[in-house]
Amino acid sequence: MSNDTSQNGPLEKVIELRLPSKLGYERVAMDTASSLAKRMGFQDDRIDSLKTAVSEAVTNAIEHGNQHDSAMKVVVLLTARDDELIVSVADQGRKPLSQNCTTKIPHLEEIMEQPDKGGWGIWLIRELMDEVEFTTAPSGGNQVRMVIHLER
Amino acid sequence: MNINTTLIASMDISFPSELGYEIIVRDAVESFAHRHGFAPERLEDLRTSLCEACINAIEHGNQCVAHMRVDVRCQYDRKQFQIEIQDQGIRPFSPPERPYSIAEKLAGVGTLRGMGLQIIAHLTDESGFLENDERGNCFRMVFYCDLDRTSRY
Repeated sequence: MSNDTSQNGPLEKVIELRLPSKLGYERVAMDTASSLAKRMGFQDDRIDSLKTAVSEAVTNAIEHGNQHDSAMKVVVLLTARDDELIVSVADQGRKPLSQNCTTKIPHLEEIMEQPDKGGWGIWLIRELMDEVEFTTAPSGGNQVRMVIHLER
Repeated sequence: MNINTTLIASMDISFPSELGYEIIVRDAVESFAHRHGFAPERLEDLRTSLCEACINAIEHGNQCVAHMRVDVRCQYDRKQFQIEIQDQGIRPFSPPERPYSIAEKLAGVGTLRGMGLQIIAHLTDESGFLENDERGNCFRMVFYCDLDRTSRY
């Protein structure tokens, strides 16, 4: 994978993955991101962090954004740059994410009182990735943009 | 035997026409196939034939022009896995006038290049270019399922 340039500057090397909103497909996104990161030269521990973050983001998109509607797609964009990998995960936004959701720090006591013990995903993503941003996708759905830096 | 041929799952991947990306696509499709109970003993067939088809799309169809895309669609319907590899067709596929067999090529008759399609034909249950595709070259390959296996989904 070379670093070609065009007349407009460096070419973005983007892989686009379109997955059904069905639990289990987060694994495909994890494996794809892992394969790309490995070839870019990321260390194993960073790849593990990336896989966890991608898994959480895609699971959120399936469960919350697309409300398990398997006809809806989750779109994962993987952009390889010289010094970083950018992963964007977008859903079709059946249920928009609240601002509170994306900034809240989970409290162990509160979570343990919940039946599903969930609610760690976004916090985990923020802990594991170098940059995280929640926005609205061009399609109108929820979008999370995550960046992991490549240290050589 | 009553075989349900309703589409169970599909997945699309699009990538730049640059050698090396076929490996990532291979890993993505392998993960998809594995999740749907693809026979482990045929995974290597899938991996090899998919890489060959993607390299063809990059090198020949898109002439290694990096900003041109290769689109891969995977579909599973209990009966079969079907994979379509679509390039943008800078160079439309034309079959060689006198195709040499792999054995002939290995014996030194003709160039060693150009074995990809023959290898794919050996490793898949169906393969070939779809005709009259206006978007470029579209190569389709199919792996039949072992119907005794059940999908994980």
